[in-house]
Amino acid sequence: MADKLLISVSASQVSAARWQGGRFAKCNVFANSEDGLAGFKDYLEQVSRLPVHILIDAVEEDYRFELLPHSFGADRSQMVNRKLKQHYRNTPYSSARPQGRDSGKRRDDRYLFCALTNPELLASWVQAVSESKLPIAGIYLLPTVSHGLVEKLQLKQPNLLMVSIHSAGMRLTYFRDQKLRISRLARIDSTGPQAIKSYSEEISNTRLYLHALRIMTLDEQVSVLIIDRDDSLTELADAVVRDNPNIECRRLGRPEIVASVGISAPALDSSTDAFYLHLLGLHAPDSNLAPSNVTSGYRQLQARHGVFALTSAAAFVAASWCAVNLYRIVDTRFDTTSAARQTVQLQAQYQEATRQFPAAPTTADNLKRAVDISQKIGATMRSPEAMMSLVSQALESNPSIILKTMGWKYGTANIDVDSGKSSQSTGNPGALAMAAGSRRQSGLVDGEVRPFRGDYRAAIETINRFAETLSQQPQVAEVKILKMPLNISPGLTLSGNTTDSREQAGRAEFKLLLVLKQTI
Amino acid sequence: MNAHDLRALKVPLIVLISVIAIGAGLIYYSDITLAQAQLALTQQQAQLNVARTRLQKSGDEKELIVRYLKNYEYLQRLGFAGDEQRINWLDGLRLANQQTQLFGIDYQIGVQQPYPYASELDPGQLALYQSVMKINVRLLHEGDLMRFLGTLAKEGAGVFSVNECTLQRIDTGGSIRFQPNLRADCELAWITVRPATPGEKKS
Repeated sequence: MADKLLISVSASQVSAARWQGGRFAKCNVFANSEDGLAGFKDYLEQVSRLPVHILIDAVEEDYRFELLPHSFGADRSQMVNRKLKQHYRNTPYSSARPQGRDSGKRRDDRYLFCALTNPELLASWVQAVSESKLPIAGIYLLPTVSHGLVEKLQLKQPNLLMVSIHSAGMRLTYFRDQKLRISRLARIDSTGPQAIKSYSEEISNTRLYLHALRIMTLDEQVSVLIIDRDDSLTELADAVVRDNPNIECRRLGRPEIVASVGISAPALDSSTDAFYLHLLGLHAPDSNLAPSNVTSGYRQLQARHGVFALTSAAAFVAASWCAVNLYRIVDTRFDTTSAARQTVQLQAQYQEATRQFPAAPTTADNLKRAVDISQKIGATMRSPEAMMSLVSQALESNPSIILKTMGWKYGTANIDVDSGKSSQSTGNPGALAMAAGSRRQSGLVDGEVRPFRGDYRAAIETINRFAETLSQQPQVAEVKILKMPLNISPGLTLSGNTTDSREQAGRAEFKLLLVLKQTI
Repeated sequence: MNAHDLRALKVPLIVLISVIAIGAGLIYYSDITLAQAQLALTQQQAQLNVARTRLQKSGDEKELIVRYLKNYEYLQRLGFAGDEQRINWLDGLRLANQQTQLFGIDYQIGVQQPYPYASELDPGQLALYQSVMKINVRLLHEGDLMRFLGTLAKEGAGVFSVNECTLQRIDTGGSIRFQPNLRADCELAWITVRPATPGEKKS
């Protein structure tokens, strides 16, 4: 529970207590006068950077219970602010507290509007706090903190009237279904011999007052809780029950207060407001009267705390992250060192084992691969023999074909048809390697038809027959005639001689590309 | 929140930004260091696995050496495994020419270069090379070429493959004397293999 400064202001006195560790030791009491204010300022000088919660106990207060159409968000706050301005235009200290939904058909929202109608009562004290640079967290009407006691004692009575004696008089606070509905401070002389009787009468009058306000009927039973912090009201409970038969009365004496609320006896004795200051310290109510300009310092303090909390969280996350990483780094490096040690040991064992091996010029894998490679090369080796055999067989069937030149190639590209050499014989080894799986044998047959006496038709038929003979061989993948004795293309000029003379007829030369299947 | 509120938060915000920046830096640095440590561990574990496997297979390795050593030594003598033996090739050419009674052989050997079809042969840690030899042979008839190539292979001068050949008829002017009728231009690839040295690109 955060440390804070609790201040209670009434018409007669001001009590201040420093809340530390969930309690305060004692209240410092100052008279509501110039001297008291001076003493209060001296007291504030000893306090630094604590948020201040101010409780006001005054006659000049107002409570209004209203139903408003159900709304939420910006509409709701605008409507509530409008109501506050409408009801309390002469005071900055006002607030609205939602109290659930109405049970009617419209299910309207129920609000308790409350305000301090005489801001002057508080002005000089608030100014003193502001001058001392202490942030004001909130200003509350005293009855609003009484709700904390209802929750603490788990009081379930539907009509509860809480009674206590203060420096300013007798405080009567009415709760309807555990929710604050109205409160009033009656100025009664507590020192006279008739005090108990006056208190009892005031309780009876309050019951009539509530009836007049139509808050409750006279038939309803009322429970009265007397807060008797100094055990001076023991007779009051009896008097109340005697005067009002349908009133149930319970007195919360000094020992019960100490036991149930947790306030220490010396603290309770230090001020008439100590009990309520303790309730305020335990839980600040929602109905904060302070306008935003008064609480700006507190907002700054909260923002600073928020930023520092964020800073702490960021530092914690970074530190945790780095710590986890550091642990994992150390762990990983340990594993690495361990693995390296094992590797060295295994390598040593392997070296020891290799001493038993026969002396070899290279590794066992290289020995095996070299032998395998030599066998594969032997299996993939080709010679021109197969192609020469094919051409020889075709020549036997076509005796008029005379061979002049024959080229052969085993590679990924066919033999160069212009020169009879490979077009890629000394090409890029990488390019060859890419097509390495498609090596095949190809050949170029350069020959002529003899005898030839100018009969191109017969010569071409002979060449075609020769090519047909070759292509019928099962080993042959492709036969392509590249050049014929006569180019009969209409795009070219054609000239010649029709004589039967061999010398004048020219030659019936041709070229033929032969490609074998890859499996050959 | 107005400007006055922001001014009041100046120092805390500076502290917050500093802490976030320092924290982010530390996290980044520790992440990088952790990643490096994990990479080193992965590499070390890979080496450990290799060493473990190697030790486990040392028995198989010994068996492989016993099984393939003699064949490998034969390939070494043949000139296939190890450095190329050009003198052996020339001796092989000379002897093959004599045995097939040809008319002499012209040759030209090119520079050694990576064997372009090595990937077909799954060489592993071995590097394959070839030296292209161009020969010019004069023949009585085409059968002599096949006899010559077969004899050259049997000479044991090395391992070679025939890339291409061109047979061309020589005009003898109708003479029937003992003289060449054909000329063969062939290209042979003499292939060698040797363990790849560190940094050497495998063929």
